[in-house]
Amino acid sequence: MLETINLSKSFKGKKVVQDVNLYLNNGESVGLLGPNGAGKSTTISMISTLIKPTSGEIKLNGVNTIDKPGEIRRISGVVPQELALYQELSAYENLKFFGAIYKMKGKELEKGIQQALEFVGLEARQKDLVKTYSGGMKRRLNIAAALLHKPKILILDEPTVGIDPQSRNHILETVRMLNQKDGTTILYTSHYMEEVEQLCDRLYIMDHGKIIAAGTKAELLSILSTEDTIKVELNKMDETFVEYVKTIEGVRKVEASHSQMKIIATKGSNLISKLVHLAEKHHIQLINFHTETPSLEDVFLHLTGSKLRN
Amino acid sequence: MRSFIKKDLLIFWRDRKELATVLILPILLVLVLNFAFAGLFSNNEQSSLDLQLAVVNQDDVAEAMARLNEKLVNEASLGDQEAKALVEQANDIHPVQLLFDFLESEDLNDWVTVHKLEESVAVDKVKEGDLDAILIIPDGFTAESLYAAFVGESPATTLEYKLEKETSNSSALYSIIHGFIDHLNYQFAIQEIAGASEPAVKLPEGGFEKIGAGETFTMTQYFTVAMGALFALFLVATVATKTGVEIREQVFNRILLTNSHPMHFLIGKMVSTICLVLLQIIFVMIVSHFILDVFPDRSITFWIGLIAMVILLSLVLSGLAAVFTAISLRVNDIDAANGIFMLVILLFGIIGGNFVPIYILPNWLQQIGEWTPNGLFLVMLTDWIQFEELSSIVKPSILLTGIFLLFTMIGLALFPQRGKAK
Repeated sequence: MLETINLSKSFKGKKVVQDVNLYLNNGESVGLLGPNGAGKSTTISMISTLIKPTSGEIKLNGVNTIDKPGEIRRISGVVPQELALYQELSAYENLKFFGAIYKMKGKELEKGIQQALEFVGLEARQKDLVKTYSGGMKRRLNIAAALLHKPKILILDEPTVGIDPQSRNHILETVRMLNQKDGTTILYTSHYMEEVEQLCDRLYIMDHGKIIAAGTKAELLSILSTEDTIKVELNKMDETFVEYVKTIEGVRKVEASHSQMKIIATKGSNLISKLVHLAEKHHIQLINFHTETPSLEDVFLHLTGSKLRN
Repeated sequence: MRSFIKKDLLIFWRDRKELATVLILPILLVLVLNFAFAGLFSNNEQSSLDLQLAVVNQDDVAEAMARLNEKLVNEASLGDQEAKALVEQANDIHPVQLLFDFLESEDLNDWVTVHKLEESVAVDKVKEGDLDAILIIPDGFTAESLYAAFVGESPATTLEYKLEKETSNSSALYSIIHGFIDHLNYQFAIQEIAGASEPAVKLPEGGFEKIGAGETFTMTQYFTVAMGALFALFLVATVATKTGVEIREQVFNRILLTNSHPMHFLIGKMVSTICLVLLQIIFVMIVSHFILDVFPDRSITFWIGLIAMVILLSLVLSGLAAVFTAISLRVNDIDAANGIFMLVILLFGIIGGNFVPIYILPNWLQQIGEWTPNGLFLVMLTDWIQFEELSSIVKPSILLTGIFLLFTMIGLALFPQRGKAK
């Protein structure tokens, strides 16, 4: 349905997006995961036709959208990271304005407004000014404004940033319903791993402007199928001990903070018995340890060498 | 398009602080400034008004009747008998005497001192500042004005009012002489009623040359017009600021994504600026008028002209709003841009004469100021209030229209292409 081919964008000679290739099938929910500054918003801005790519192509059903942006604008709704709303207008007035410039009118517009408000659970507060809303309500209205014209593709750019867990769940549920019940194709960007895990069928992991991994959750986790992640709690933290752990055969990465250590090691490297011996030698008591199932966070850590939320 | 205009007006309406600033503040300022300056004038002017008028009488009253008779026979083609009857009737009317009676009347005695002088002496004294103005009664004035009254033509000879420079005293004298003409007309009117069987006697029109004065342009009028225009300028800055908010909050991007033509955004800004400026200035003028009687006893034509000028100003300011909007969409730092816009507005306000009357500024600054939209508006409105003559506002109107077109073209040229907005 929608694909990007070697999509790149440079600002003042600096490449912020490099050769991004991604595709979205009809009715699919796709996540674009990456830390802040990874190039997700720029990629989305290019896909939604807000900015022109420096090079590469974006195709909607085989038609280049860079030269002909009309169709993708017509069938897509964009939920920007910022609250693109008029604070001095009510929710109803905001939607009426955006609906009108989508060339909706009369009963169609009125019905669209009420459906969008109902969908995000704001119908009771529709006459209140947006500036009186909580952060979560504003975020929901931000989504409603993108749903007015019943888009086939919904592009959401970090839609849950800075809101309470309740509103966050509401938004996630809304997106899920749109995808599963209405069949809306979703492109969801976030740096919250769990949101993407929860919502998306497929994922693209982006860092420093590049797609570094892509696939279903299972496919991405399989990257770590040759590794064990072990979390260890100690009675005290000792730098020398950490350095010795790093030298154990099979250990690939060690993260230490306070009295805890996270160790990624090759599967079957008999790490636990080696750790126990080393701790005894350094007079350190192992209070607790357990082997973790790898998460997408671990995949990201494995691929980039840094945590997702930094 | 209607959605854009409605949205802009609604947003402005909801901004009560801004609304109070552009609607209430100018009226408060007009009131405060008016009362402050009215106090100053009432203490200084009225008690010390002593108008010194030189009257140079070059008319020979003795010859007047013979000249009148000659003119009636030769120029009006009346028969001897008919002419003689009119001359006899005219014997009782002495316009020059009426003028002196009027100037030396009890009503004017305390205000005006009349000096009967030769022209050369009078001119010297006016130049030295001893006298305020000269009124010359030219040779043939009596015969000409009576002839004009009888045949219903404008007099060929008129009173001449001369002054070295226009001051409040010379303007007051002008008004007094204007009063005389009214008095003279009244006399003719009385005579017309008394001698209804005689040939129709039309009242003389004009009767003296106008030099630099019409209706008085009062301080209250200046403050009302100046504050109205100044706060209309501030409205343009407000429109630009609100555009900045739309850009900062990404609403502009959302508008772009609706497939709506971005030019609708710009034209929407222009139309809403026109509406806002119109409403603002008309509100300020009407409320000030009802409180202070700013434009008393003015004709419908005057009000129509006034509204036409306000419409012209609103057009020009909508053009300026287009320029500001286009620049806002191009710059990286919207706050810096807003600061510059406000500076431009303040500069326009100062050199356009909205803060202080333009004549206290240096000449070169006055000349620049008259090219600002608000300066032109002020000049145009000042002329209209004083003279209510269409000819005096044609040139500034054309200039204002030109500035509107120029601003609009700059706005359209600067308006970024799709995807180029910051």
